[in-house]
Amino acid sequence: MFFRILKKDLKRKKTMNIILLIFVFLSVMFAASSINNMISVFGGIDYFFEKAQMSDYVILTLNSNGEDPTEDIVNNADAVKEVRKESIIFFSAKTLKKDGGKYAEFESPGLITSVDDAKLKYFDRSNHVIDELEPGHVYVGGILADPDKTKIGDEITMEIEGVTVNLVIDGYLKDALLGSPFMGNPRMLMSDEDVQTILSDEKVRNADCGSVYYIDTDDMKELTAQLAEVPNALFAQPASTLRLTFMLDMITAGILLIVSVCLILVAFTMLSFTIKFTLSEDFREIGVMKAVGLRNTSIRNMYMIKYLSIALVGAVFGYIGSIPFGEMLLKSVSDQMVLGNDNQIFVGILTAIAVVAVILLFCYYCTRSIRSLSPIDAVRNGETGERYNSKSVLKLHKSRLSSNLFLAINDVFSKPKQYASMIVTFTICLLLIQMLATTANTLMSDKLLFLLGTTRSDVYYSSTDKIMETMGNTDEETLPRMIKEIEDTLAENDMPGKVHIELQYQLPVEYKDNKIKVVMQRCSATKTTDYKYEKGTAPLYENEVAFTPQVLDELGAKIGDKVRIEIGGETKEYIVTATFVSFNQLGKTGRLHENVDIKDSDAASAFAFQIDFDDHPSAAVIDERIEKLKEIYKTDEIFNAKDFVDVSTNSAASVNMAKNMVLIISLLISALIAVLMERSFITKETGEIALMKAIGFKSRSVSSQHTLRFLVVIVIAQVIASILSYPFTKLVCDRIFAVMGAISGIVYEIRPFEVFVSYPVMLAMVVMVAAFITSQYMRTIHADAMGNIE
Amino acid sequence: MSKVIEVNDLCKTYVVNRKQNNVLRNVSFSIEEGEMVGIMGPSGSGKSTLLYTVSGMDKMSAGEVSFNSKRLSELSENDMADVRLDEMGFIFQQMYMMKNLTVFDNIILPAVKSKKISESRKDTEKRGRALMRKLGIENIADNDINEVSGGQLQRACICRSMINKPKVIFADEPTGALNRTSSDEVMSELVKINNEGTTIMMVTHDVKVAAKCSRVLYIVDGNIQGEYKLGRFDDSSKLRDREIELNNWLMDMGW
Repeated sequence: MFFRILKKDLKRKKTMNIILLIFVFLSVMFAASSINNMISVFGGIDYFFEKAQMSDYVILTLNSNGEDPTEDIVNNADAVKEVRKESIIFFSAKTLKKDGGKYAEFESPGLITSVDDAKLKYFDRSNHVIDELEPGHVYVGGILADPDKTKIGDEITMEIEGVTVNLVIDGYLKDALLGSPFMGNPRMLMSDEDVQTILSDEKVRNADCGSVYYIDTDDMKELTAQLAEVPNALFAQPASTLRLTFMLDMITAGILLIVSVCLILVAFTMLSFTIKFTLSEDFREIGVMKAVGLRNTSIRNMYMIKYLSIALVGAVFGYIGSIPFGEMLLKSVSDQMVLGNDNQIFVGILTAIAVVAVILLFCYYCTRSIRSLSPIDAVRNGETGERYNSKSVLKLHKSRLSSNLFLAINDVFSKPKQYASMIVTFTICLLLIQMLATTANTLMSDKLLFLLGTTRSDVYYSSTDKIMETMGNTDEETLPRMIKEIEDTLAENDMPGKVHIELQYQLPVEYKDNKIKVVMQRCSATKTTDYKYEKGTAPLYENEVAFTPQVLDELGAKIGDKVRIEIGGETKEYIVTATFVSFNQLGKTGRLHENVDIKDSDAASAFAFQIDFDDHPSAAVIDERIEKLKEIYKTDEIFNAKDFVDVSTNSAASVNMAKNMVLIISLLISALIAVLMERSFITKETGEIALMKAIGFKSRSVSSQHTLRFLVVIVIAQVIASILSYPFTKLVCDRIFAVMGAISGIVYEIRPFEVFVSYPVMLAMVVMVAAFITSQYMRTIHADAMGNIE
Repeated sequence: MSKVIEVNDLCKTYVVNRKQNNVLRNVSFSIEEGEMVGIMGPSGSGKSTLLYTVSGMDKMSAGEVSFNSKRLSELSENDMADVRLDEMGFIFQQMYMMKNLTVFDNIILPAVKSKKISESRKDTEKRGRALMRKLGIENIADNDINEVSGGQLQRACICRSMINKPKVIFADEPTGALNRTSSDEVMSELVKINNEGTTIMMVTHDVKVAAKCSRVLYIVDGNIQGEYKLGRFDDSSKLRDREIELNNWLMDMGW
């Protein structure tokens, strides 16, 4: 008898049971995939570095006149436990050609590595180690491992100092050193034959070669101090800093994890609603069962068995669905990294079981009310206990709204509990979208210019070739001559202006027993007071200096302390007068006074040539001039301030991608929820729908009223999301910017129309279309179905 | 008097488990304006089906129903909704109302929806209050529907059926769920409405209720077996005689 009632229940309430099954399926799918991803992502960087055999410390050097003084310093450093040296050749964007034209745009110099000389493990996209390459075939990595820049199968030509090699791109690399887009450097893994062909030219051997030293140590502090003397390092950082470069990818993964967690929350909110909803539908039957003598435990067991059956079926399908869904989420991260989780199946099954257990606990909790229901509830249609609660919140006769809109609003406000889960869901979706949109917009706006350590200029001209020509070149006139040439070109083309460039120097900085190498910025054409500082006052004299808090932390120094900096072989004391925040070197940087005597040729790198036109033109004129300059210099690497920030942070695209993914997932989930909720409402409100039809409401009128409810819910969700948007964005995104180096001072670029209008409207449209289409089902309900009203 | 409802060869068939169940078989009758017609018959005879089919709430299988000169079979679903909204009123055995509206808002809802009566919401409110006053339930206007008695709620349903000044009120056992006192009160309101000119077609089991109708149709197995004319009920002292008269006729019909 017991199972016959259960069987009948499962069959008779097919629609609601199917809806419940779908929510169980979604919960298990989201939970299993998210937990697996969390495990993969949290252990991700360590797993990747271990597989790639990344060392404790990495130095990237550029040979000076064919000489590499680093090798001796490294070999003589006591703290070095083991060292692997990888020879590299530098190349710039102009060396790559396809069909006679420039192949790809990038700013930072690229690295060519021979597959036979590789001292790291490089992986293809399927996570296989690349240990062999045919001549003429390359794998590209770093910033070039991007389908927007390069295509697998492309046939290209590399021409360095007159040596030409023809290459076919075989695939993309996963590179533990340059894999993060934040590093900005491309890499090419080539056959040794091709590398030797390029090295056959003396000019290449003298001017374009360098090395990467992978150093292991047991004493990082001592190693850092000993290697602070390396003169020709372009990059010298411990693996911990390299880990940070992948944090941006981890942030994208983290955003997806937040999405996953939100999806789990959404699924459980909906699940709780559906269980309560189905139980409230059963008041009458529970009353009847009690009236005929069934005990509370029997009734409760019946419901528990029912929900257990549904949960088990949902869990099996949810687990199966979690595998492709999880892979889809992880794919955006694992393009750059080798991510692993050997216990995927076990974790998935365990999560599915946990979700079933949670569902059962939840059902057990919800079915408590069975005890309090009496047989009289069968007669009173479950209204007992609500009998004296006022239901109507608004008054039709006092309202000026159309009847449809009135009924929709009144319904939402009269049954807030029924709509709470939807409001929560849509608010979460809107918050996520708004947060990511604001972050992406901020990364693409010029509000972050100060974080790049540059002053505002009209135009930023980035030229890897010109910068590489300056670095390691002993002729001190090279840079001034370049600047003069650019100024002459500007004047010749009727846009006279001043040109300057920010130079970056790798300098050993000492405080007490701590000695580290810091990338110091200096520009002779600007004043230190032109820059923004977090605390203290700008360095006003030659013996004053400013650092980021990260550098001061590492040194153990603070504002007012005196640090020793070695410049041009001479060590002097400098007073720390201020701190500032910066994206440069992941926040580990400092600023020297403009009058500090330091050679341009000692610079390790530089930013872009900054152009300030004499006539202070409008933004439109600047953009026109940029186009003209692009033609003159035959490059696309000329930007206005906004685009320069975008290119320099190199992260807006990934955040934008995450935003688009969240947008699509949110729209799909919201549409699905709208469909399921509307279908539940129709089932529950069959009687009322029939009544409305009986008194003369048309189907389209009832359908509009149901659809408008969803609009009301979205409006409420949008109001809540708008209030929470800024604090939520700040809470989450301040951490993202902190990882990139900017620990404070971020002013978000909020685009009100996009954030508060276009995305909510998009969500509203999708939800309303989904609800409207589902509501058409009520056409099958006729006026004579009023017997279902309760 | 003109015919407001004309039914010819009306058939209604349900198919359940591939078995055909002919609920109405070639039913023909007409109702004139101002009449109050009672439909009686044993359980399962097709009384309610007849009421719902004639009112267009349920679709007929064959035959024709002409309502106020409109052939219902020719009306689209939307046109039928308009007819129900503006020209028909409904009262059911259970006091079906929208749960989330007050009693008063339930009453005026059809008027707010209707395009026939172009009046301000304030005027609608006045008419609604006047109707409630007339039926003696003005004091429950702002109550929720679960805060009032069955009799009050049924009178509210009558108000709702009256709000758009319909040609005909269809009532399906309007006193079926009420006690005798409430039943008498509701019926006296319906008689008043009828005396003011509104046509009523009503299904009932109760001889006492049917005795207040001007004509009674007796239906068995989907066929009208006979009709009995009682004449307009305008003298309550004759109610007992009308009941006996009707009861005798019903006994003859096999009641």
